[in-house]
Amino acid sequence: MTTILSEADASALTAARVVDARGTGCPGPLLEAKKAMAGVAVGDVLELWSSDPGTKTDVAAWAGKVGHGFLGSVAAQGYDRVFVRRAK
Amino acid sequence: MAEKLVIMVTHGPDQPVLASIAFAMAGGAVAYDVEVVMIFQGDGCLLMKKGVAETVAAPEFTPLRELLPTLREMGAKFIACSPGVKMYGLSQEDLIDGVEIATAGRFVAEVMSATNSLVY
Repeated sequence: MTTILSEADASALTAARVVDARGTGCPGPLLEAKKAMAGVAVGDVLELWSSDPGTKTDVAAWAGKVGHGFLGSVAAQGYDRVFVRRAK
Repeated sequence: MAEKLVIMVTHGPDQPVLASIAFAMAGGAVAYDVEVVMIFQGDGCLLMKKGVAETVAAPEFTPLRELLPTLREMGAKFIACSPGVKMYGLSQEDLIDGVEIATAGRFVAEVMSATNSLVY
């Protein structure tokens, strides 16, 4: 079980890869996360940007299901920065 | 055993919202490492005609021209219903490469062996 970080702690994370999925339609951000994770080393963090308010809960559920660590999200200007640690 | 989701698509390009929802659910499922089988029946068969999916888009959904290749890349299977294909005067060569044509028995087999199924 991964602990969900506070916004301040999540903001301090250094992502190995940042994917900008802002403006993509459903299920764009989730698929972008899935594809991008293949290029992230186990233990490293993927940061996904999405302008869809559903993405942070969607990605949290996805990470739980496929076995990655959902670290939390940070609200930015008109989008969310969503952090996931590759666990396998 | 891997989980499997069957998505039956009975609406075609004249119902772009319903068609887009079906593909969006397929996209969600492949992201979840769920095996996806999309079955196209009736008007849905038109979505498997070469060049048609590229024209289908709905607001707030990923356009099919982008989503369909991603789904294929991620292993989703597409099967079109034989009566529907013939009803529109189509044949195998009119369909997107790799699309299978099958009939009810095969679809029942896919549904009965799936973890769950959705109909749009």
